Amino acid sequence: MTAPVKTVCLINGSLRGRKASSLSFLQDVSRRLPDALCRKMVITVRGHAKQVYSAETLAAMAQADVLVFVFPLYNYALPGALMALLEEFHRFVLEGNALSHDVKVYAVVNCAFPRPELTTGEAVRVMRNFCRRLSLNWRFAICIGTGPVVVVTKKVPFLDRTLKRALSAIAMDVGAGAGRTVSDFFVHPVIPERVIRRIREQYEKKGEMMVRRDRRRALQ
Amino acid sequence: MNNAVIICDREAATALSHDLKNRVVGLLGTRGYRTETVELTRDDAAPCRGCLFCLTKHPGKCVSSDTVGDLMHRMYLEREETITIYLTTVLFGHPSSVIKNALDRGTGSHRLQVIIGYGEDIDAEEESTFVDVTAKHCGAADIVHPGMVREAMAFVTRSSDDNVSLCSVLQECL
Repeated sequence: MTAPVKTVCLINGSLRGRKASSLSFLQDVSRRLPDALCRKMVITVRGHAKQVYSAETLAAMAQADVLVFVFPLYNYALPGALMALLEEFHRFVLEGNALSHDVKVYAVVNCAFPRPELTTGEAVRVMRNFCRRLSLNWRFAICIGTGPVVVVTKKVPFLDRTLKRALSAIAMDVGAGAGRTVSDFFVHPVIPERVIRRIREQYEKKGEMMVRRDRRRALQ
Repeated sequence: MNNAVIICDREAATALSHDLKNRVVGLLGTRGYRTETVELTRDDAAPCRGCLFCLTKHPGKCVSSDTVGDLMHRMYLEREETITIYLTTVLFGHPSSVIKNALDRGTGSHRLQVIIGYGEDIDAEEESTFVDVTAKHCGAADIVHPGMVREAMAFVTRSSDDNVSLCSVLQECL
């Protein structure tokens, strides 16, 4: 007997287009979900406030078996563009539209700081609150530190297998029963934190010099 | 004279938020602040695109030109002299998308940011999430940019009585 086909809705919470690390992680999740067992659709958040989501898009989210949110961390929380989608989805459900309560929800949070265990907690709590409010089945999160570095190094063999284990855990959990508990995964960059800090300081120094120059000009 | 900018979401205004806004404006007036209120709609606050050009290529200027873009540039020049107060609904323990867009795009003061969430059905976990997110922006607690925002405060109000209480706490800090 073949397993029933699951409808998987992959939500890209980044507005950076093809440059986005979040998009790369979303594609990694998608690749691990076999096409024979999963009917996949991707929703990318809207970059303009005037653009609203169609009823078909929101209905597809509401009827999916699996929702995977992949997003960058903005100010320790969700990007406003993703929050707009959650607001519209919440309104859509409150209006009485049908919602599949068996839906499993996962989050992949991509933050710029090397230690995701210190920064991503509140964003994951928001996603848990979202599931609790709508009676959805929250599963677990993958919290990735310094996403762009992880994207660059993820193909190097034997460096760090946490990301691969975490992404495979989503694929396995989609097909498994909802009874088992899976803890959140924390993926750290393989480049040492002090090197990442130095790179960031160089950018910030450049920015600070420009700030001082602009202030001088404003005063003149 | 001290300046204060109150940033709120016009489309999410309720009787509770009107009461809150009036009390906060009154409080700031009595403390000698010159207050300006900016009421945002979705059209005024495009989401942050994450390009970081506002930090690297042209500091203080956003690639999206709208009300929040203008406000961001102004705050970039005045962020040490002006305090910002955000009034927002709380959904899932998170500010509304309009206010979050304004926060993400750097409209906040570096001196004092006050974020007040309102809503009649905010539960305890949502309140705690909302307050904890804000606490992460404050002084040394902000591990990504330590000390950038010297003081950040968060409140949650569910009623007019809560508005009175939070204004009396806020009064001590202004």
